[in-house]
Amino acid sequence: MIPCYTVQRNLACIQRTVGGVRWTSSCRPAPLLTASPVRALIDDKISIRGHFLPPRCPVTVCAQMQSDDGDLWEAFAHFNTNSDGTVNLTRDPSVGGSYLGCEPMGLLWGLQPAPGAREGLRQAEKKKVETPYVMLMSLLKGHVSPSERPSTELAAVTAERWYMAPGVRRIEIRQNGVVGTLFLPPGPGPFPAMLDLWGMGGGLVEYRSALFASRGYASFSLAYIGHKDLPGPQNLINVGDPYYKSAFQLLQDHPQVYPDRIGIIGLSFGVYLALRLASHSGIKPSCLICINGPAGSTIKLADADGRTEQTENDQKYWTYDDQGNVSFRAVSLPANLSPESKVKLEHLTCPLMYIVGEDDLSASSVENANLIEETLSAAGKSQLLTRLSYPGAGHLIEPPYTPNSRASLWSVKPQKLVTLWGGHLAPHAAAQEDSWKKILEFMETNLRH
Amino acid sequence: MSMKPLCVKLSVQPSRGLVDEKFTVLVQNLLPGFQLTVHALHQCEDGHSWEAFAHYTTDATGTVNVSQDPSLDGTYSGVEPMGLLWSLRPVPGSKSGLRMRKMNVQTPMVVTISVYQGHQMEGFLDRVSLASVVVERWYMAPGVRRVPITDGKLTATLFLPSGAGPFPGLLDLWGRGGKLVEYRAALLASHGIASMALDYLTPQITKETGKMVDNDYFETAYRVLEQHPQILGSRIAMLGLSFGTSVTLRMAVYSQDVKLSCAVCISGSHVQPIGGSVEQILAYFNRNADKTRFDENNQVIWRDLLLPIPTDPSLKVDMGGLQCPLLLVVGEDDQNWPAHECAMDMKEMMERAGNSHLLTVLSYKNAGHLIEPPFMPFARASTFKTVTNPPTKVMALWGGELVAHSRAQEDAWRKMLVFLRENLYGGMKHGASFSNL
Repeated sequence: MIPCYTVQRNLACIQRTVGGVRWTSSCRPAPLLTASPVRALIDDKISIRGHFLPPRCPVTVCAQMQSDDGDLWEAFAHFNTNSDGTVNLTRDPSVGGSYLGCEPMGLLWGLQPAPGAREGLRQAEKKKVETPYVMLMSLLKGHVSPSERPSTELAAVTAERWYMAPGVRRIEIRQNGVVGTLFLPPGPGPFPAMLDLWGMGGGLVEYRSALFASRGYASFSLAYIGHKDLPGPQNLINVGDPYYKSAFQLLQDHPQVYPDRIGIIGLSFGVYLALRLASHSGIKPSCLICINGPAGSTIKLADADGRTEQTENDQKYWTYDDQGNVSFRAVSLPANLSPESKVKLEHLTCPLMYIVGEDDLSASSVENANLIEETLSAAGKSQLLTRLSYPGAGHLIEPPYTPNSRASLWSVKPQKLVTLWGGHLAPHAAAQEDSWKKILEFMETNLRH
Repeated sequence: MSMKPLCVKLSVQPSRGLVDEKFTVLVQNLLPGFQLTVHALHQCEDGHSWEAFAHYTTDATGTVNVSQDPSLDGTYSGVEPMGLLWSLRPVPGSKSGLRMRKMNVQTPMVVTISVYQGHQMEGFLDRVSLASVVVERWYMAPGVRRVPITDGKLTATLFLPSGAGPFPGLLDLWGRGGKLVEYRAALLASHGIASMALDYLTPQITKETGKMVDNDYFETAYRVLEQHPQILGSRIAMLGLSFGTSVTLRMAVYSQDVKLSCAVCISGSHVQPIGGSVEQILAYFNRNADKTRFDENNQVIWRDLLLPIPTDPSLKVDMGGLQCPLLLVVGEDDQNWPAHECAMDMKEMMERAGNSHLLTVLSYKNAGHLIEPPFMPFARASTFKTVTNPPTKVMALWGGELVAHSRAQEDAWRKMLVFLRENLYGGMKHGASFSNL
């Protein structure tokens, strides 16, 4: 072990073990860990640096974050300081830990549930978007793992990461039967807008909309299944075409929204809803963004309006791995989609961006992307399609610098089920970063000009 | 020509920053040669509105970058990345003599930055902006802890940096306005120094007993820092502004119990009856009250009360007895204290005594008395309530010119942080030169 720390004061140890020992002066100031900006948006890059360290010495940078549910997430990376005694995560490669190589944001997307956490956690899904994630970052002596505490903490810094920029307004909408949350940017407007649709996990997922509003777009997260304010049993989709049309119209009618500059984004089953809304209902969105979802319904429709029957009918397509984890992938194979539900994409008139995670274990994204591409091509509309395909990325391609879970708890009743999302850590993180940038550019082009 | 507002993009990065952090204001997606006004609006804690504005013309790419492009007119001109903050002034129709000071440091200062079409001079609140964003400016970094201190009959607040520590400590003193003013200590803690803001003129104990505090009060405050489990007892500094300098110098040179690693004195003086209590020092200043002058606006100039600088050694802190590094920060246009003259006298005393290697003087032309953390609005004069009994309210002239004073604040703060870090985080032996300042 390189004895470079014998010269370095070991502040914490001296203070604790031999109380009252004077801090003798030494060759250099005490180590410092900085993060900039220290209050950032989720999709902002943070520059993490260590200063005033001995040269060419092993250090560990550790990040800890507590989710809204109280679960602890952790990541760490091993570095060797360079000749001027600094470590800079924008410049230096990690040689061990939660990720390898030079990854400025690796401590963030590399966060994993800490040892002892509840099992089957999904990536920290923030329910309260008005408060930040608080990240505790520490600089430790040597190449250690966080569970080896108490290792010597040389320096620490706390950073906050926000989904909402200052001035963004969050408005709960329960109007005309529509259940959702609207986020408005600060300023007089009017603003271009997005309708934001998630998957069969249900509920109301707000954080992507909050980020869009922080980037200048009004954004409306819409609930359609699994929400107490929606009619009927929570495990069925009890709303149909008129519901989604109302939601779109609500945006069009809003005094601070440009009625002819509204796009739709959908993930998973939300893709089907977005495509259906754009092709069947007379609604004319300015653009569509579809992530890892089907071009037809994976659930038998109960009526022409898109309400569904029991979702368990598709269980015959479920597959299981050796640990009993379930993959829903085959459910959305084009051959397994109910034919009458397949979206008539030839009616599409607006640009469509389709994003594929090639390791998606929850949906047949590659196959559906192919189907969409073929259908548009046959209709002479291939110029409308932009296809982004990411090897090693899974189903949940979300805003960047947030961790991905390859699998997580799906249900506890009637039996405990863990579902596979797919995606390998580093390629999935790269996919999130790249796709988010391209999503914002696509929105800029289609909604602002 | 009408510009579709949906195109224009206004951004401020970072949208949440510390008050001493720079930001970049960017306006994009307009036509080239487009005339616009960037406007800042802030409503402070006591309800008054402050504004600043500047005129720009977009470049060939239809962009204005406030950090790089010159303002053609407004509350500041030229290339001034932070002009929108330091040139904030009360909106027309406001009361006179206002000074902006944040008393609740746990919430941010909120500023609305907007873009208006054309080169506007007034009436902003009656117009509709093209775009608008909200910016937060924080005195406390995430993880900084605010700890009210009442032990030892102190009226104080301690700010601890985030992390386990231990941290160097600092005692933070303001001047004769009294009260418990926390923002500078909060900001220093955000830079890794456990800092205690101390109310020594209007503390609870004085309110209850009617008696002013004396040396033991400051020694108690020092001891609280020294004994704190998260503070390095051997690395404690003292920072004083105005009358706070008088206390700092006396503690640094004469106190047996207070052992400072370094001291920072802003806009103050070494002139005081040595051996006198705080009350006696204040009385000494008031003895010369007839030297008070008034400018053409009837604003009070108090700088002559300490002039000429006495030659009698019993009326000045013995600077030759100083054993720790000292940073003096003075404005040459200070109309409240003769800070520059005193700094020169202190320098001379130390040169004669042979300890001038401990001294660094930062002297700023056209800067006034209130040299504060950077980017805060400037007040050449403001209403001032003395802590005497009964208190008197005057319009005190602080001095300084807007641009020079704002530059001085930015430069002085940066150098103060370097000075404090060098002396508190260890490293150099006493007396090393701070050539990197």
